[in-house]
This record gives sequence, structure tokens and C-alpha cells, in this order.
Amino acid sequence: MKEQIASVQAEAVARIAGITDMKGLEEARVSILGKKGSLTQVQQGMRNVPKEDKPVVGALLNEARATITAALDARKTALQAELDAAAVAGTDLTLPGATLATGGLHPISLVRDEAVRILRRMGFTLSDGPDIEDEWHCFDALNTPEDHPARNEKDTFYFDSGKLLRTQTSTVQARTMEKQAPPVRIICPGSAFRRDAIDATHLSAFNQIEGLYVDRAVSVGDLKGTLEYFLKALFGSETAVRFRPHFFPFTEPSFEIDVQLQAAGQAPRWIEIAGCGMVNPAVFENIDKVTGKQLYTGCTGFAFGIGLERLAMIRWGIRDIRLLIENDARFLAQFH
Amino acid sequence: MNVSLNWLSAYIDLSGLGTQEMADMLTFAGIEVEGIQERGVTTDLVVVAQVISKTPVEGSDHLNVCMVDAGEGELRQIVCGASNYSVGDKVPAALPGAILPGGWEIKEGKMLGHASRGMLCSASELGLPDKEHGLWILPQDYTIGTPVRSFIETDTIFELEITPNRPDLLSHWGMARELAGITGRSLKADPGAIGDTAATLPAGDFIRLSAPEICPLYTATRISGVKVGPSPEWLAERLIAIGLRPINNVVDITNYCLFELGHPLHAFDAAKLTGPLDIRRAAEGESFTSLMGDTYTLKSDDAVISDASGRALSIGGIMGGLSSGVTETTTDIVLESAWFQRSSIRFTSRRLGLSSDSSYRFERGTSPWNVLRAAARATQLILECAGGTAEPIMVGGQAPCLVPEESAPTATVLEQGTDAKIYYALDQVKLDWKELDIMTRGSIPHLEAARILKNLGLRDTDGKGNWDCPPWRLDLKRSCDLLEEIVRVYGIDNIPATNTAIFVEETATDRAHDYRMALSHKLAGAGFLEVQTFKLIAAESIDPTIASVKNALPTKPLMEGDIIRVSLPISEDHSTLRPSLAPGLLAVAARNINQGMEVLRFFESGRVFRNTGGGKGKDIETEVLGILMAGKLNPASWADTKPADVQFAHLRAVLDILVPKATITLSPAKVARPAAALVADVQINGQACGVFTRIALATCRELGLPLESYYAELDLRKLQQIATAPFKAADLPQFPGSSRDSSMEVPANLSNATILKAVEAAKQKLLVACKLKDIFCDPTGEKIAADRKAMTYTFLYRDAKKTLTAAEVDAAHKQVLDTLAAKIPDLRFR
Repeated sequence: MKEQIASVQAEAVARIAGITDMKGLEEARVSILGKKGSLTQVQQGMRNVPKEDKPVVGALLNEARATITAALDARKTALQAELDAAAVAGTDLTLPGATLATGGLHPISLVRDEAVRILRRMGFTLSDGPDIEDEWHCFDALNTPEDHPARNEKDTFYFDSGKLLRTQTSTVQARTMEKQAPPVRIICPGSAFRRDAIDATHLSAFNQIEGLYVDRAVSVGDLKGTLEYFLKALFGSETAVRFRPHFFPFTEPSFEIDVQLQAAGQAPRWIEIAGCGMVNPAVFENIDKVTGKQLYTGCTGFAFGIGLERLAMIRWGIRDIRLLIENDARFLAQFH
Repeated sequence: MNVSLNWLSAYIDLSGLGTQEMADMLTFAGIEVEGIQERGVTTDLVVVAQVISKTPVEGSDHLNVCMVDAGEGELRQIVCGASNYSVGDKVPAALPGAILPGGWEIKEGKMLGHASRGMLCSASELGLPDKEHGLWILPQDYTIGTPVRSFIETDTIFELEITPNRPDLLSHWGMARELAGITGRSLKADPGAIGDTAATLPAGDFIRLSAPEICPLYTATRISGVKVGPSPEWLAERLIAIGLRPINNVVDITNYCLFELGHPLHAFDAAKLTGPLDIRRAAEGESFTSLMGDTYTLKSDDAVISDASGRALSIGGIMGGLSSGVTETTTDIVLESAWFQRSSIRFTSRRLGLSSDSSYRFERGTSPWNVLRAAARATQLILECAGGTAEPIMVGGQAPCLVPEESAPTATVLEQGTDAKIYYALDQVKLDWKELDIMTRGSIPHLEAARILKNLGLRDTDGKGNWDCPPWRLDLKRSCDLLEEIVRVYGIDNIPATNTAIFVEETATDRAHDYRMALSHKLAGAGFLEVQTFKLIAAESIDPTIASVKNALPTKPLMEGDIIRVSLPISEDHSTLRPSLAPGLLAVAARNINQGMEVLRFFESGRVFRNTGGGKGKDIETEVLGILMAGKLNPASWADTKPADVQFAHLRAVLDILVPKATITLSPAKVARPAAALVADVQINGQACGVFTRIALATCRELGLPLESYYAELDLRKLQQIATAPFKAADLPQFPGSSRDSSMEVPANLSNATILKAVEAAKQKLLVACKLKDIFCDPTGEKIAADRKAMTYTFLYRDAKKTLTAAEVDAAHKQVLDTLAAKIPDLRFR
């Protein structure tokens, strides 16, 4: 009996080791451990084993079954591993990918959002106004006299109704102050229009972002601190920023702001980036006159405006502004 | 305006300033430097050289090998391409290492195999006006080897942009005065000062001011016996330096005075005048021929100078006439110096499209105080350069009072002239020191501020903060104008940066921006490219690829008069405010398919415009989202060699992505649109939100687009409202649901909506979802009649409180199917 068990076990283990597929493995399991399997048959000889030998033989039988089962399992694991390896063999990981439709945002949206995000961190809130404006909000309120060069059909798009397409987002300054009492701390991204022929540096419709902060004692230092922070956030904390005195009808004093930027392989250059200034008291007086409230006279504040196309062109070295309105997918794909 | 450094230096000591320092000084005075040109050479390496021999280069029709003596002890070989010189001529030679204007460095080189060790120069190559074509032939008595810088004058020309509030800077004296005021450098003698004491007489009948509202002050000076001829070299050179062409001494002097003092002048040939001058409004339709020979038709808004003959001799303040100007034969002249109302000059100049250095200054504003100064200065120069005798300046009218009425009685008044005096009232401005302290947070000491104002020519009248403004500063009217001057000169660099932020509340515009960005990122993630198209489109265009109104697919159909057109478009292609984003997006799709793009997925969000009430109502601006989808689903690749084409269901799926929790219903629109083959109104949660269209096939063919092109335009605010509405998260179902599929045969034209409506009519409480699984049809009619289709739906049943038994599910399903059969007579289950 003991010899029989040993021989079945040895035979089974040897057979299992030689099996090469799952089917063979299953057949072996049935023919060894199944109802009529070789080990099961030997087991039936237990009846004739003397009582005192039974524990020893029984233990041997159990051990044989365990050994064979383990061999089957090990073989199964090995075979599965071989199959798995074969299943993925031959995959060329150097192949290119399939091409999926890819989308992305327009560069003007990207710079606009970046500017908005920075300015919101600084406590500015968004405000809005219509593209189709009246002369009062576009010019009169902003201290731009009737004989100002911009106020004519050659430079500004007018409608037969007498309304016009706003020439600057500064209109929102007037619109916001009409509606709310100071303090005001707003920005307004939006379109502006000028009757310029379209060329590499001009569009007759373009995008700006306007900012306004009005309170009881806003100072030139606040203007400087705010715009320096904003521009450094936009162009990098090491960026040099300078304020050049300039003239705008709705601010006094007025400044143009340059940032010093360096293109690869070139000397750093001052690049004009924005206009700003302290709100002209005449603007406050105009607002109060229209609302009939004395809310703004005596306030101080600053305003600024930045061209978004210009910002995008500087940021990405875009040479021709028309690329921004042509919407060629090959151009747009660069900003994904 | 061009400013010559040499000319400027005649009025202010600028010694020791480099070009860059000068440019910085101007920049921080608020004067934009648009360009800098260096004239002449500053190097010793450009010397007088004599051409000793000249041999033509073989194989070239213009090059010569020259041996030149540059005073170096041995001859130097230079290849030269000019043709205007001979052996023996003395010419400038630039030796290797010399840097010529424009930063051009001369190096040794080879031309057609011949060594060339330098360059023979023309005047223009040395940054000087070219007097001959070719090399600059120097006088024979010049010594060989002498650096040319010893006998040519160098100059730097600054191209400056003067802001419109500072017309007083539009002259060399004005600029010098400003720089002296800012830097404290000393100012030399004022060339216009002779005007204050100039001999004057009342003009009497000789000057008639018929339009005093345009021209209240006119002076005329008779100078007889002048000899018209070329200007002296110094004068001609100054004009050439700033880009003017010398004409003759008298005309040049009027131009010179304009650029010296900033006040325009005009000289008439006295022999061509008949009797007294009349400064009047033009007659409607009056014709005028300018000295350039162009003819203009005038209106009564325009001022003209005429004489007893009645004809217009000049358009006041803008341009002289052809027939009354100074020529070589002129001996007696009448010199005009006058003051014109700026708005009138601007209006006429713009309407006629005619501008001049004179009109440029008048329309920005000139000071009446400068009238006599310019007249006297020009007279002085004419006598000096052209001889003759001058009579006293005849004064017609009086300087307008430019100070506010209420302060006029107490204003300080300047007096000019002798027998006919001109009075100029100075503006007085009260400076509020408190305002300065607030604006600069006390960072500018008052003493320093006062010093700045004094340097700029203001006078502290009474020690109480009232300041007299100088007569040349027309822009100083209010306290804030003085604050500006103080901050500008003190320098913003010297004011510390601060920050006083406040807390702010989020606005509806903030939320709109956030939603737009979130939506854009979502669409970008779904493979859509955001575009930004022009808000001005064509009303109509023959070119189908130009965005035009006919391709508009706004959320509501356009009515007569809805379109808003600008009065004076730059071009027809950009004449109309877009009523929809579709025209722009279709143009983008056409452009990109022409470039070989296979996947056409674009979106834009932005404003569209229309007028309510047929053009007489309000202009409405609406923010919308436009999505266009056509072409392949993906670009072809080895992994997907034949990608599927976009179908209706694909753009429809995008709507579900935009508002996933909402119920979206498309109902075929009642009104057809020419731009669309199919139109459906889009309802989201029962609210009308926009349109869903298939682009008209004719349009697709015209633009080269796939015939299956889909477009949706949705109201962005309504989308935002629905997408951002507050909601509560639902619990997961506690018990499993059970589903049943049913296939039904219906007429081919029966809509999905009809079936869903019938299912809804069953009001089966256990039915939680009904989803279309498949549509089957067979055009051959073999498997199903050609006019019928089989639609398979999956019905899901669930009870929130227990697990349903199969019998319960079957009963519920049967109730639904029975309702379907009852509601749709032509329906057969398969």
C-alpha cells in the first residue's frame, strides 16, 4: 500500500510536470484525483489496511493528495503566466498613438482668464457693459470733449441711431459708477472697436481689460503697487516695470506702462503694455451730475487698460495680429 | 514731430548728455521717443582721401578698384561702385572699424576677388543730406587724412510723439523750455521775446474780422523790398535736419518760426492782394485751389482769408492758396500771424482731408500770446535774411479771453505791443495741498512741489495756493492739472508703491465668466477648438467664405430690421454686427477644411446683436454659445484608418455633456430657415434655450463642407442658469431594478418623441427609464417593409422599497406595452 501510494504520487508529479496546456492539466487532475483517478483507486485499498496501520497510511494518502494538488496548482499558475506572456507578446510599444480629436481654448481666452485670475486675487470683481454704447458713456462721461479726434466717423463706428461701438472698455467705468456707490474695485474684459484698417498690428475689433479702483483716498502709490504686482504676476516676479507720464482725457496724471522683456538672443527691451492713471475729477463730477447724488465728488481712484491681443502677442511672440482672428486650427493647436 | 538736437541746443544747454540720457529725459517728461536718427559721424576713422587711380573690375559694369591716399603713408585699395568721381577727387573714406550712422561697421572684405580695405562714402552714408548722387566730392583744399567730423556737423534727430494736451511742446523753443523746467538746466535767450515790445498799430480797415468766433485776432505785417532767394545755409540745414525741404528764404522763415516758436505763419505776396483782408466764413460751395494745386469745395463752417477781390486767398490756419503765395519775383509781402479756434480748424481739416503743420498746431490749440511773438520773430529773420523794410505789425481784433468768465476780472493780464496792445489773461488755479497729500500719500514735500511748479513757469500769486499759469500752458485749468505736473516731474519712481485693497463681493459677471470658462474647458476636453471670430461681419458677400448674415442661425429667427449695421463701415465684409455666431464658425470651418482638416469641431462663446422692433427698438446684446460639428469623428490613423463621419447623434450628445442632469428636448421648428436643412428648437428642462440645426446642403456645397454639418446655438445665460442651479445628490437605489427589451415595428416617419410620449402616458410608477436601444430598417424591404422601421427600447423597472418579482415586472411592462399599442395604432410588436 505504502509503495503503491509512493509510486502513484511519483508518477502523477512527473506527469504534471510534462503537461503543456490547460486542457492536459484538467485531464490529469481528473485521471489522478477524480472519482476513478489513480490516487482515488489506491485510496479505496484503505479498507484492507490493518487498523493499526491506518493512521500512517491515511497520512500518506493525504500527503500524496496535497502534493499532487500543489503540483497541479503550480503547473496551472506557470501555464497561465506563459499564456499571459504570449497574449501580449508582439505588441510594438514604439508605434504612434491613434489620433483623437483634440480641443483647446483660444489664446485670447487664455490670457484674458489669466489676467482675470490674477486681478481677482487682488480683490477686483468683474463688471460689464454693452458693446453698443452711447456717446455719453464712451466720451462725455470720460471727459473727452466733443472736438476730440476720436469722436468722429473716421475713427469710431457710429450707427444711424447716434449710438456707437465703444472705442474702449473704459465705458464700463461710467456704467459701474452710475449703478453703485463707492468703493468700486472692478475689472472688465471686453471688446472695443476702432475704425482702423486691419493689418499685421491693427484690428478694428479687439479685446481689452479695464480696471478701476475708487475710494476715499486711493493714491498714486496704490496705482503703482497694484499694477506692478499685476504685471509681475503676469510676466514673472523679476520683470522690471516702468511708468512713463502720458495723457488720457479721463485720467490725470496719466501713465503708460512698459515692462522690460527679453527675447532669446536679444537685448532686453521696454515694451509698452498698458495705460493707466488717476481718475480725472471731472469724471467723478460727470457721474454725480447724471445720478444727482454726491457720491463720487471728492473720491480718488485709479484706472487702467490693457490690450489683450497685445498681451497674447508679447506672451507668445506672435508677429501678426491677424492670426488671432483667422482661427486656423494649426495656429490654435499650439495653445492646447 | 522731429526735433534736432543742434537746434534745441541753441536754446538750452544740453552739454554732457548722451543720446540715451536725452531719450530717457524726454520719455520721463511724458514725451514718447518714437525714433532716433544720428546724423553725421562721430568716429575719427572716416577721413578725407584722394583717389589716385581707378581700374574697372572685370566682369562688373560698375565696380572699380581704386587706390586712394588716406594720409597713411601708403595707398589703400578700396573697391567702389559709384560713378560720379574722377581720379584726383577728394572723397570721404571710411576705414575698417569705422561705425557709420545706423550702426553699420566697416570691415575689410573682398569684392569679385579684389580686396577692399574700407569704403568711399556718399553724404547719405554719413547721415547727411545727399547733395549729389554718388560719392560726396569734397573741396580740393581739404587736407588728406583729416577726419571728416572736423568739418561736418553731427546732429541727432528725435522723432517725438507729443500728447494732444501739450501743443506748447510742438516747437524747439517749447521743448527747450520744458526740458529746462524739468531738469533745471539753463535756458538761453527767448527768440520770441521781441514780440512783447514789437511796434504795433491798429489795423483799422485793412483787417476785417467777419467771423470773430473763428478768428478773433489777426495780425498782418507789411515788409517791402525783400529779395526772395535761397535761405542762408544755417537756416536751410535746420529745416533739412527735421525733414523739411527749403523753398525760399521767406517761406522757409515762416516754417522756421513755426518749428521754433510753435505758432503757424503765412506770407502773402502783397502784389497779389487787392485791398484790405477779410477773414470770413466761406460761401457754401466756394472753390479754393491750394498752393499744392488741389481744388477744394468749401462750406460756411470753413474760415478763409480773402481780399477786396472777394476770392479766397487761403483757408485760415490750414493752407495758403496757389495764386497769392510768395515766389522768386515777390518783392513785398504781407506776413500773417493769427489765432484760430481749434475746433473750427479741426472740423475743416478733417472734412477736407487736408492737414498741414499749421492745422496740426491750430487744432491742438495755440496760445494767442504767441501771435505777436511769432510775427515779430519772423519779421526780424526776414529782414536779416531777405532784406527789406518792415512796417509796424497791424493788429486786428483782440486776443480771446481763454480763462473762465468768473475768474477773468481778477486774472493777471500780460500786455504785448506798443500802439495796438494785445492782452492775455492768465489762468489762475487754486492748488489744494490736501489733494496732493492724499494722491501721493504725503510723499512729496510741499516745498519741492512748489519748486516744480515755479520751474515750469507758474507763479504763486498770493501765497494762498493760487497759481498763475504761464501763457503757453493752455492745459492747466484745474487743481488736478497742477497735481499732474508735480507728480510727473517729481517722478512716480520716487513715490513708494502701496496697496489698499478692499473686500469685494462676487458679481453676476464673475459668475458668468466662471461658467464660460468651465464650459469652454469642458468643450475643449470633448475635442472642440475654441475660436474667436470678428463681431463685424458682411451684410452679404459674393465670396461664400466671408462670414455674412445669410448664414446666421440665431436662437430665434431673424425678422426684417433686426440687423444692426454701422453707418460707415471700413469694408462691406465688416459692416454688420453679427446676429449669430454661425456665419463666423462656418467661415472658420471652410478655412480649415481648405487646409486639409478632417475633424471640424469648433465653438465660440460671445455676444450677438439684434435690434428689436424692426430697427427702431432697443439694441439687444446676448451672450450665446455656438458649436459646429462636421467631418470625421477623429483624424484617421493606423489604428483607425477609416474614422466614422459625424452624424446628428454626435452633436446631440454634446448637448447632453453641457447639461448632463437636465432633460433636453429637440422639437422640429415651425419656421424653416434658409441657412439650415433641418432646424429644431432646443428645450432644456422645458425652457427654450436655442436652436439645433443641420446646415443647408447648398451652403455646405458652397463652402466645401461635409454635407452632414451640424450647428447649435444656445443662450449662454440660460445654460448657466440650468447648469449651475442648486441640487441635492440622490441616494443610490436600495433594491435592484429589472429590465425588459421590446422591439416594435412602426411607420418609418414615426418619431422617437411620439413613442416616448405614449410610454409616458402609461404613467407606470415602476418604470424608471426607457432608452432607445436600436433602430433597424431595410430600404430593400426584404427584412422589414421599406416604409417601416423596427425600434427597440430597454425599459427599466424598479421599486424603491423592495425587490420586484418577475411577475410584477412583467405586469408593469405589459401595462406599458398595452398603452403603446393603444396610443399608436400602427405599431406592431416584434
